[in-house]
Amino acid sequence: MDADLQQMLALPAYGLYLLIILAGGIMAVGSASLVRALLGLILTLFGVAGMYLLMAAPFLAFMQILIYVGAVSVLIFFAIMLTKGPDGEAGGEEPPKVGGRLVLAGLTGLVPAAILAGAVARFAPQAVPLKPETSLFKLGEFLAGPYVLAFELISVVLFAAMAGAVLLGFERRKGK
Amino acid sequence: MTALLANPLVQLVIALLALLGFVGLNGLVLVWMERKVVGFIQRRPGPFEVGPHGLLQPLADALKLIGKQLVTPRGADRPLFWLAPILSVMPVPLCFLPIPFSPLLTGMELNVGVVLILAFSGLNVLALCLAGWGSNNKYSLLGAARAVSQSVAYEIPLLLTVLCIAFQSGSLNLNVIAGHQSGILHWNLWVQPLAFVMFFIAATAETNRAPFDLPEAESELTAGHHTEYSGMGFGLFMLAEYMYMIIICGMAAVLFMGGWDGPVAPGWWWMVIKIYAMLAAMMWFRWTFPRVRFDQLLNVCWKWLIPLGLANLLATALIMKLVG
Repeated sequence: MDADLQQMLALPAYGLYLLIILAGGIMAVGSASLVRALLGLILTLFGVAGMYLLMAAPFLAFMQILIYVGAVSVLIFFAIMLTKGPDGEAGGEEPPKVGGRLVLAGLTGLVPAAILAGAVARFAPQAVPLKPETSLFKLGEFLAGPYVLAFELISVVLFAAMAGAVLLGFERRKGK
Repeated sequence: MTALLANPLVQLVIALLALLGFVGLNGLVLVWMERKVVGFIQRRPGPFEVGPHGLLQPLADALKLIGKQLVTPRGADRPLFWLAPILSVMPVPLCFLPIPFSPLLTGMELNVGVVLILAFSGLNVLALCLAGWGSNNKYSLLGAARAVSQSVAYEIPLLLTVLCIAFQSGSLNLNVIAGHQSGILHWNLWVQPLAFVMFFIAATAETNRAPFDLPEAESELTAGHHTEYSGMGFGLFMLAEYMYMIIICGMAAVLFMGGWDGPVAPGWWWMVIKIYAMLAAMMWFRWTFPRVRFDQLLNVCWKWLIPLGLANLLATALIMKLVG
């Protein structure tokens, strides 16, 4: 796409994604049903994918949708279906134990937001023009070159998680 | 006029409109074809009364579905219940965008086209989950649970085989992948036969087609996740299923059979012929094999397809390193 069109569309798109992210967040916190809360989370993840697209990283955006929306959220859904409340109904939220739920939620949400906003207002970096898309080859070279240690550490963590899951599964079967 | 057509946004809108037309038309054709194929396999004529050889039957079906009342079951989560069929169909035009019917007839050439299709076709599982959850029906919920475990499992071999092809052609751009395979002898099918077979099995499972149609197994679960849907609610789910079949067959045609390439006169017609040949094979499976049991389904994936896919990927990487 030509640069003029990009410039013209960038701001409305940013606003739209921001709205999607915030709406998803509010939905995730506010709804009483866990499935609807999950839907809010998914909406937020979509908004973040949109932000990646704006930053000219379509590969990351689609991976975000493929992994987080397509796999992780669906697994969370599966976990919700396995839960059961006291009334035998799955996926309901516990009633709040302390009063002033809204106050507490507002406090925990607004304080970090205010701190971050203050930091951004004081040390705001200059806006940078849209960068061209980074090719996958370059991405791969960086992952296998300067960032190879971090990359390998992440794979070790994943491997440990997977091995742990298998171990837990086997132990439970032995107990029966 | 030409200046207007050169605008990428205008091109995108034209491509999306054309794809919507393509989706509607093919939905009708596939409904007719499926019923004719069943008829042929079971030695009966299939639909025959409406129009010549029953050609207008799907139109009558569609009108019937549109005319039916939309019923929301009692105790259902209404917004989620009606969001599900819409969410199932919505990503379809998007998934068609990067599929190249010919170098010119491509909705939008993307460097990561393969990833886009895989990402957005994954939304269908979410739709099935919501449908199962929102219906307030145990059959629906069971169907949704099956859909989740099945599609999460079979996504892995699907990705592994796609990765093999990506390794080989060094690109995730469907146009580039198809362009590498000009001439019938250069098709990836001959180099990666194992990957093709695994891709096709995983694709059949991902689209919930028989013998892997456990999420809607009618003899055990009534109709699985769409038990409670009437009228176009059900119609949208069915349309989405057929469309994902076309998308995945289109991907198979591009990844393994050179896309628009053919023995003579390469063009979009070869793409259509290949897609329909694979769709016919999928229908043939459906009426040939009995439905598998759920443990068999998962065992085939985790004990055969995933190890084989990993071995195939390693072998591909090794050979590419040695040769290329």
